[in-house]
Amino acid sequence: MAMSAPFVDAPLRCPPNGTPTFRPVLVAVERCKGCELCIDACAPGALALDTGQVNAMGHHPVRLVNPDACTSCAKCARMCPDAALSIFARPREG
Amino acid sequence: MSATREADGASPGSPAMSEGRTIYARPLLLTNPTSYCPGCGHGIVHRLVAEVLEELDLGGRTILVGSVGCSVFAYDYLRLDSVESPHGRAAAVATGVKRVRPDRIVFTYQGDGDLAAIGTAEIVHAAARGERFTTIFVNNGIYGMTGGQMAPTTLPGQKTTSSPLGRDVETQGYPLPVTEMLSLLAGVQYAARVSVADPGHVGKAKQAIKRAFEIQLEGKGFSIVEVLSTCPVGWGMTPTEAMDHLRDTVMGAYPVGTFVDRPRRIAPSLPQPGPSHRSITEGF
Amino acid sequence: MTVLDRPGADARPRVLASPPGTGGEAFSLQDRVLMKGNEAIAEAAIAAGCDAYFGYPITPQAELLEWMARRMPEEGRTYVQAESELAAINMALGAAAVGARVLVSSSSPGISLMAEAMSYMAGSRLPMVLVNVMRGGPGLGSIGASQGDYLQATKGHGHGDYRVPVLAPSSIAEAIDLVGDAFTLAERYRTPVILLADGILGQAMEPVKPTFRALERPPRPDWVLDGAAGREPRVIKSLHLRPEDLERADLALQATYAEITENEQRWAGESLDGADVVMVAYGTAARIARTAVERARAAGLMAGLFRPITLWPFPAAALCEAARDARAVLAVEMSAGQLVEDVRLAIEGAVPVFHHGRMGGMVPTPDEVVDAVRRAWSTSDGGAS
Repeated sequence: MAMSAPFVDAPLRCPPNGTPTFRPVLVAVERCKGCELCIDACAPGALALDTGQVNAMGHHPVRLVNPDACTSCAKCARMCPDAALSIFARPREG
Repeated sequence: MSATREADGASPGSPAMSEGRTIYARPLLLTNPTSYCPGCGHGIVHRLVAEVLEELDLGGRTILVGSVGCSVFAYDYLRLDSVESPHGRAAAVATGVKRVRPDRIVFTYQGDGDLAAIGTAEIVHAAARGERFTTIFVNNGIYGMTGGQMAPTTLPGQKTTSSPLGRDVETQGYPLPVTEMLSLLAGVQYAARVSVADPGHVGKAKQAIKRAFEIQLEGKGFSIVEVLSTCPVGWGMTPTEAMDHLRDTVMGAYPVGTFVDRPRRIAPSLPQPGPSHRSITEGF
Repeated sequence: MTVLDRPGADARPRVLASPPGTGGEAFSLQDRVLMKGNEAIAEAAIAAGCDAYFGYPITPQAELLEWMARRMPEEGRTYVQAESELAAINMALGAAAVGARVLVSSSSPGISLMAEAMSYMAGSRLPMVLVNVMRGGPGLGSIGASQGDYLQATKGHGHGDYRVPVLAPSSIAEAIDLVGDAFTLAERYRTPVILLADGILGQAMEPVKPTFRALERPPRPDWVLDGAAGREPRVIKSLHLRPEDLERADLALQATYAEITENEQRWAGESLDGADVVMVAYGTAARIARTAVERARAAGLMAGLFRPITLWPFPAAALCEAARDARAVLAVEMSAGQLVEDVRLAIEGAVPVFHHGRMGGMVPTPDEVVDAVRRAWSTSDGGAS
């Protein structure tokens, strides 16, 4: 049986010549079934279906469209039936 | 929620944040992506069980007693030694497992057909005997695997493929309140009904599941958590509509709450009592 | 410590001074004690290292359950009186999955309830031993002895493409021996095994040697469930959704059955030399047939007895060989005609096959069997049956 994969991406990305970007939510795109329970649970509306993408299962996966609105409350991950969401706390400023 | 991959011990509500601390990551006990329908409550419950077993560090000595229904494939999604049971027999199979290996953590994972229809005798007697395993009972009021037929927990008036005009109580009877029924039995150490309707209820569901496994660790008696869940495809709704229906209609018919949480196993010399409720039909 | 971890199987044979619980002194015939069949089978299982017993009361085997109810807790083993035979056999499934040596007992109507789990255990490759103390049927039938479950036991018992080895003792002493053999077969081939007895064997009391054979415990197999710490998880199941996968699993089962058929057939022959009429009978019917052989031969009729001990795999080649020079074969059984079908299959028309059966708890007398032998002898000159 396959072990669950670690993150394919990292929450904090530091490009060589750019500003670091932090994403509080990482989506395991291939696990997501586009059920939208996370979108429904997200009060600040940070998530939306990525209708421009279709994963191997044939679903539109969810995407963190408004990272700044996310408070890392993890309600989305709490609802996710596919454990497709990983949640990170925002690093300290300064 | 807790970080299961990096155990840095901070609570999710803590205001102190360091560099990108992990608030939530998928438990390692969850393996393959599931074949459940989008929005199916089974996925949530599998995840909660995996989180609890990992937090209690029980995964390595747990045996899953599977059942027949949509969740027959649970052994493909949870990293646990598993045995498949005939339909309805999981509570008997778990009895055999736990009696021979009381040092293992044993749980059944059953839907409403498996537990409340064909398996009713087995669950009642396992509970009455106070068998020291845990039952996770996922109640979505329908038979998903076989195409959406009526279940013993289907609500009056609810349309299913075998009650196309809506469940008629005159000819098709009334729903079974499983947790209420089982809570009458002295062998039941812990009985709770929870739901996955929204993040708050999911959190309480996890607490109940954790309590149920702790009861088993204490070796006191039978523990059961009835999880009210959804079947979007069977109910003919989107996943979010199904959660709304669960919250607005199903939870009204099946009250959530802790029905039994005994501080100690009932001694044989006591007369057969009714349930020792801490609270009944109250929310947490 | 669990029941599986108790001090290792006692290699010394158990010696009973007197049957436990009888309260009085043993009735001793030379070096033997009187024991009831049901109780002897139970004690034999305990001696053979039975870790877990699950049962439900049904006549004529309730004494087996009751013996276990007293003795299993004494020995620190697992015992549960289940709420039904359906629950009992499924408890056995669970216990077998975690490596217990398991016994279940019942009688005909209860055995029917167990068909589902037997099919699951065969498909899941789980070893266990099921004792059927047959009674009259069909339906609720009667509580008298019969052999009406032969087809049920030998033709797979439940749904799907599987068989289980079936051992048929014809005396209590033989039943005691076959209990240990049943566990051995079950574990060697990872299959349920049926010990097929009847109400007479279960209820009768016979002198038996008070030593019950202990059975070694093999090292824990690598399919047993005990928690996946430090290794890949194990799944015990019979579901293989893809037809290619299920066919592969079924072929593996069939290969096992071929191996069992090759290696595990058992039978006994008595007075077969010069026999014109070879009787085929098992269990209690064989004992009656044995007396009929004596009486027939005393009257000048050359009769013999071929007694299958494994009903599956049926000792077909041995029967053919035994009947090769006979004039007729006579199947004697306490049923309408079940064993006789396997006899006909085995004989393949080489010799006429006749049948004498009683049902419903009726037991044939030796004299009526002698009459059947006579009829078979006189009807069979040149005629096929």
